[in-house]
Amino acid sequence: MNSYNPIIYLSVFFVLVVLLVLVFNTRNGVYFTYLKTKNATKKTAVEDILKLLYHNDRFTEADIIEQLEYSHGLIESCLLKMLSKQLIAKESHFVQLTDEGEEYALRIIRAHRLWEKYLSEKTGFHKKEWHDRAEQKEHELSDEELDQLAKLLGNPKFDPHGDPIPTKSGKIVQKKGTDLSRLPVHSIGKIIHIEDEPAAIYKEILAQKIHLHSQIKVIESNEQIVVFEAEGVVFKLTPVVAKNITVQELDPENILDVNNSRLSNLKINETATIIGISKESRGENRRRLLDLGFVKGAEVRINLVNPLNDPTAFLIKGTSIALRKDQSEKILITKNIGNENNT
Amino acid sequence: MKELEEFDKIIALSNELRWQIGDDFHDDLTEAIYADAAKIVKKTVVQNSQKGTLGIDAKIDNIVTSKIWGFPLMLFLLGFVLWLTIIGANYPSAMLSSLLLDIVHPFLKESTAAIGFPWWLSGFLVDGVYLAVAWVIAVMLPPMAIFFPLFTLLEDFGYLPRVAFNMDSLFKKSGAHGKQALTMSMGFGCNAAGVVATRIIDSPRERLIAIITNNFSLCNGRWPTQILLATIFIGAVVPESYSSIASLAAVVGIAVLGIFFMFFFSWALSKTVLKGEVSTFNLELPPYRTPVFWKTIYTSLIDRTLIVLWRAIVFAAPAGAVIWLICNITLGDESIAAYLVHSMDGFGFILGLNGVILLAYIVAIPANEIVIPTILMLTVMVTGISAGSGSGVMFELDSVSATADILKAGGWTLLTAINVMLFSLLHNPCSTTIYTIYQETKSLKWTVVASILPVIAGFIVTFLVAQIWRIIF
Repeated sequence: MNSYNPIIYLSVFFVLVVLLVLVFNTRNGVYFTYLKTKNATKKTAVEDILKLLYHNDRFTEADIIEQLEYSHGLIESCLLKMLSKQLIAKESHFVQLTDEGEEYALRIIRAHRLWEKYLSEKTGFHKKEWHDRAEQKEHELSDEELDQLAKLLGNPKFDPHGDPIPTKSGKIVQKKGTDLSRLPVHSIGKIIHIEDEPAAIYKEILAQKIHLHSQIKVIESNEQIVVFEAEGVVFKLTPVVAKNITVQELDPENILDVNNSRLSNLKINETATIIGISKESRGENRRRLLDLGFVKGAEVRINLVNPLNDPTAFLIKGTSIALRKDQSEKILITKNIGNENNT
Repeated sequence: MKELEEFDKIIALSNELRWQIGDDFHDDLTEAIYADAAKIVKKTVVQNSQKGTLGIDAKIDNIVTSKIWGFPLMLFLLGFVLWLTIIGANYPSAMLSSLLLDIVHPFLKESTAAIGFPWWLSGFLVDGVYLAVAWVIAVMLPPMAIFFPLFTLLEDFGYLPRVAFNMDSLFKKSGAHGKQALTMSMGFGCNAAGVVATRIIDSPRERLIAIITNNFSLCNGRWPTQILLATIFIGAVVPESYSSIASLAAVVGIAVLGIFFMFFFSWALSKTVLKGEVSTFNLELPPYRTPVFWKTIYTSLIDRTLIVLWRAIVFAAPAGAVIWLICNITLGDESIAAYLVHSMDGFGFILGLNGVILLAYIVAIPANEIVIPTILMLTVMVTGISAGSGSGVMFELDSVSATADILKAGGWTLLTAINVMLFSLLHNPCSTTIYTIYQETKSLKWTVVASILPVIAGFIVTFLVAQIWRIIF
């Protein structure tokens, strides 16, 4: 005990803490970097090149090296291997997929999108994590696991971003629609796809709480700004961001009541009728809302406001149910006009 | 064979058709069923009035969820329940302990001696097993018998869901469910009961959070430790006229610190290991109703108090045996207990504790109630001062100052007391709670996490306090 000095103990402790943080930091810690490099085998690189080529027609070797984060040497050796296995063919400078290569690429895309669907339906991971997790998992799933996954999810057609999922036999739905920045003013459309790459733009779309499958009406659209209304909320986007949202113009018979709004926009003493639950509410959450009676045609009204503003208690089918804001904004309503204050 | 082929064809066709129908099919079907059911209900079920919107319910709701009255009312009620529990339990506890410890214990000792039990058998059974069980009953039963019925009454009346409603946005910030406010409060009574109460949270992620962090609620078994140490050591550093206020503030401070740790670990868990678990939210606010008083009292005694007490007894009995054994089996020239105490002294010193305290917390895993008696007994044994009634026999003293003398003889300082108070808040749950956590989660992994996490927090906090204290003073 004679040599005891609290300052030394304290410093040793802080050094240990700093070391642990360096090793286990999720972003660039030694441990996770190690895991990543361990996983970055040739197989992964080959599959990533296949995906890249599937989405981009006229790519040269230089383009591939620029787009992917692998080392120069690894990509070159991968390309050689792919050439010998006839997954790709070279036409002058351009690298192109053969039929076999395309089949393989579709399998990886299927794995990626199925896994995203799985994450959205069966787990609690946040939206912004789906893509990165699927990027890892797509290389790990075997054919058998993919079939099981598809079966578990009921052979879904689209992933949670609205991208089509290729079938086992390589069929893929071709989606129509244009990007939001090109939809003319006053026209009414429906959001059918939200692109999750690049991450920065996706983050902005998420922050604005724009929902897949919501019906939109363009108010203003020019080089500087795209303004549109959806679910009773007005959104303003720059055209760069709007380009990452795909919409489909709606035929007049498919247009919902233009007065549709989110339940979160309901005010005290207003009553409303539910038209449905947004596609953004998924899995267990969606089923729970249905179980509680938030179904088409049900009447709803605010029962209690919280002292801290969230959650709000709604009166539905004679029961008072409290929902958080992120739930109530995924329930669509039309406000009943003319019967306010009738209680 | 041919039939099988036909089957396969049909299945393939159905898969194909299903795919053509599209993703919305399932949802549309479900929604249609619900909508039809709603229509049928509307036609056939007559509702006599729009309940819950008018009258007394709305008036109560407007008060208990109002900006001005909501939170003070809540704090007042929780404080009142806790106060009533702690104060009210003193008398029956004193009666029980004088009966079980001062009358029955000597009687058992004498009668076993009279029928000719060897000393080690009567020591093992009476001083070890019986004493631990008696202690747990005397300290645990009265507060639980007061706390749980009060809590259940509030629950039956319909007030508690409103508390969850008011508190939700605070808990949401740390990734938890508003109902965790209730399981946390229940934990102030007993962590095992708090863990069972998390069944009201029906979202998997939030429920696990509530289970793992329930131990940060200072339970009934730990309040007496806090109060005793605060009275002896914290009360002594301020002028005498303020001493009771200072010690009260210290105890409340520890409980509040526990709430802080609960929020912190809820947040940390929801952002790391639990972020993949499914998370949903819903909270029903049922109409108020007059509780069925006697029925409530009866069921809360049976369902909560007795079950928890039984589990505690089951775990306390072997602990008593172990305590007696380690004190009475000698290796070389010292008992196992003395050997363990000495070998842990160094580590204990770094944490601002000592070997006696660490050993007491290890052998007292079954019940926090026996920590102080064990500490006293071990201190007397190690220091060799004369008090208590022999090695392996737990005891407690009626006078606070006599207790203080023994602890000070054991080398306790203000730092030791503060760190024991902190460690009492931040250490592994008792074995009853650990077992209950396993029962509720059915997962070894989460049971281990829930058991280890608070100890690590306790080591870090006491370590930091000890070093900083020694640098400053």
